[in-house]
Amino acid sequence: MTGKGSATPATYSPSPTSRKGKPPAYKDGDLNWARPDGRGFQQCRPAYFRTGAVNAASGSAYVEIGNTKVIVSVFGPRESKKAMKYSDIGRLNCNVSYTSFSTPVRGQQLDHKEYSSMLHKALEGAIILESFPKTTVDVFALVLESGGSDLPIVISCASLALADAGIMMYDLVASVSVYSLGVNLVIDPISEEESYQDGSLLISYMPSRKEVTQLTVTGEWSTDKINEAMNICLDACGKLGEIMRMCLKEAASVSSEVNLGRPGGRLKGLQGA
Amino acid sequence: MEIDRTDGRSPNQLRPLACSRGILHRSHGSASWSQGDTRVIAAVYGPKAGTKKNENPERACLEVIWKPKTGQSGKEEKEYETILKRTLQSICILTINPNTTTSIIIQVVHDDGSLLPCAVNAACVALVDAGIPLKHLAVSICCCLATCGHVILDPTKLEEEKMKAFAYLVFPNSINSILPEGSSHTKSKQLEDGLVTSVTHGGMSVEDYFHCLDRGRAATARLSDFLRKNLQSQVLGEGSKAG
Amino acid sequence: MGLPNESGDLLSKMDSDASRRLFPLRFYESHLSISTRPDGRPLKSAREAFVGPGDVASADGSAMTKIGSTTMLAAIKMEIMTPSADKPDEGSIAVEFYMPPICSPLVRPGRPAEIAPVISKQLYDTIMSSGMIDLKELSLISGKAAWMVYLDIYCLDADGALFDAALYSAAAAFSFLQIPVVSLSEEGRLTIIPEEGNGNKSDKDVVNKGKRKLTISSLPFSLTCGLHKNYILPDPTSEEETLMETFVTVVLNSSGHLVSLYKPGGPVLAQTSTIQDCIALTRQRMTDLQKSLDEAITEMKVD
Repeated sequence: MTGKGSATPATYSPSPTSRKGKPPAYKDGDLNWARPDGRGFQQCRPAYFRTGAVNAASGSAYVEIGNTKVIVSVFGPRESKKAMKYSDIGRLNCNVSYTSFSTPVRGQQLDHKEYSSMLHKALEGAIILESFPKTTVDVFALVLESGGSDLPIVISCASLALADAGIMMYDLVASVSVYSLGVNLVIDPISEEESYQDGSLLISYMPSRKEVTQLTVTGEWSTDKINEAMNICLDACGKLGEIMRMCLKEAASVSSEVNLGRPGGRLKGLQGA
Repeated sequence: MEIDRTDGRSPNQLRPLACSRGILHRSHGSASWSQGDTRVIAAVYGPKAGTKKNENPERACLEVIWKPKTGQSGKEEKEYETILKRTLQSICILTINPNTTTSIIIQVVHDDGSLLPCAVNAACVALVDAGIPLKHLAVSICCCLATCGHVILDPTKLEEEKMKAFAYLVFPNSINSILPEGSSHTKSKQLEDGLVTSVTHGGMSVEDYFHCLDRGRAATARLSDFLRKNLQSQVLGEGSKAG
Repeated sequence: MGLPNESGDLLSKMDSDASRRLFPLRFYESHLSISTRPDGRPLKSAREAFVGPGDVASADGSAMTKIGSTTMLAAIKMEIMTPSADKPDEGSIAVEFYMPPICSPLVRPGRPAEIAPVISKQLYDTIMSSGMIDLKELSLISGKAAWMVYLDIYCLDADGALFDAALYSAAAAFSFLQIPVVSLSEEGRLTIIPEEGNGNKSDKDVVNKGKRKLTISSLPFSLTCGLHKNYILPDPTSEEETLMETFVTVVLNSSGHLVSLYKPGGPVLAQTSTIQDCIALTRQRMTDLQKSLDEAITEMKVD
């Protein structure tokens, strides 16, 4: 058959050259500049959450915030790998991967290998590991489209999926990041804004218990700025937590109407296409 | 209308077949099968203890490794491995040696068309050589469809590439029953009528496909005879191979 | 022979969920004997299929399909390549099928699904055999530049009939595809002209003006049937797939030609009558799938 064994020829994408060299929309010291999508500095993008996206998983969630779309599936608790030692608390295994069309240029492998371990650290404080000894809970995330602020969205989506799977947790984990651009603090950045950041702050927060499970700071921050940024973040996390809770309540009320006993089949709420 | 084939064969004529068993000394069973210039060597190791992770331990497990002539194993090789594994699973009696793994390694020596059928035939003979219990043998043939609608058997690589469509077909071998005619008629009829595997490339109409099936099934009688003769003569020639 | 009887009694006493896990084959066959399948379908009916645009912003064409719970997302990206010397007027297609760990409990991050490369190859062969795409249409500048079509299909939820859903999403993605308009720049590279304002680019620079959509001669549609004893069961779910070992996948194109009949072995031998039944079922299925796809295309045009 023709084409067997021949390497795929080198290709290039005909998109106009990337905006790497494009100067940021603001100038130093500028206090009032417009964000590319017209939001206020302290305004987050509207969020759309849905649980039960994947039938094959124990629990799953789909989140769409602006242009970032993420699906997270939770499998478990299931048998740990035979190689693992006995452990009387449960184990958490996380993995974050990107589709090849998540970025405008195909196959542009973003260096996000650390996202899997960061997701792990954000969630392990919230899960009651003692409730599933000897077993593992697998949390797998797939980023369908990357529109900025990927990791906080993955973390929030993952905690929603864990709730959908019925894994015991102390509280939901809501996560938001704040970037410092020039003199301003910008919440929930899009990918364009992320590329010219001066510093970033990511907080994963349990709203009802008022506890932070993860705090990641990069770049240069003065003490006042950090305090301000943290307050902004915690406030936003609280609001995000409310939205997530509402989503879970809706899902629970829908399924209790439809689930009238289960003959051989699985009627798990009506999910549209 | 007669088709002119470059090597002068008639449409129903197969290339010269050659088959030898026991060519590799270290393996438990081995065979080399060639149809014209296409040559494939199959080696069987097994049954070995233990099954692979996701397989059912109440049955024997088969594992196929396909080695191309040059280059690394890619998607095409993985596809061949899957097809071969499922085909051989249907002819092996898997309940006899539960919780074991039998490995079949296919090495392509030369590819001149009709590669998968050659490999299926070689694997079948290698399994017999290794003494793995089989329900029946599998004989495999490649049928091509020319643009004028004629069916050609056992194409070379050039013919395969020129043709509109071709199909790799695997049938159970024809039965030489020692029982009188009429007894156990239905079961043998079912076996004769059956199709184990079919993989097609290129579009063809449904009637053409059934023509291919008929021609292929007719050719299996010749292939089965060749196989039987070959296996019998070698058995007479050697003593028992214990172990 | 006490044991089989015991399990028979046990079966009638325990509830359906437990018997489904402990004696899956018996559970299944008890359904088959009353001509129904565990998810409530009649014996010969396939699950309902949905198709819609995939909403992938960075792709030139995308589609999402759902057959029962099996969900596939296909995206097409077009890039420029230099055609090979022996085929200067032809572009090329690369098909890749991914099963990310979210789709099924059997796939782990370090251990990719075995079936993914097989389905990739099967899809590629089917798309090329069906004659859906004429590679000559993908040529831009003869000998120098041609389109390389990257088709990536991601399985988001695996519940049986993966090949059918993947092929349907590929067909839909090609139907929704909009080829970007490119022009030749001074360095000899082709770049996309942005939609608004091509004021400073003269018309003669545009390489493929007016060729926004591929002419698709006939779309392939497929149906996988499982063979179990004497039953033909179209569109198996993943639970049924683990119980049955023999599958026949029939691919027909809109003109009724057989594109592919794929039966990769399996303990049940297919009789000629069985094959004819499978082909008939596929024909029926094809009309439904084609209707849904046509509706989706017209809806997209309206938008």
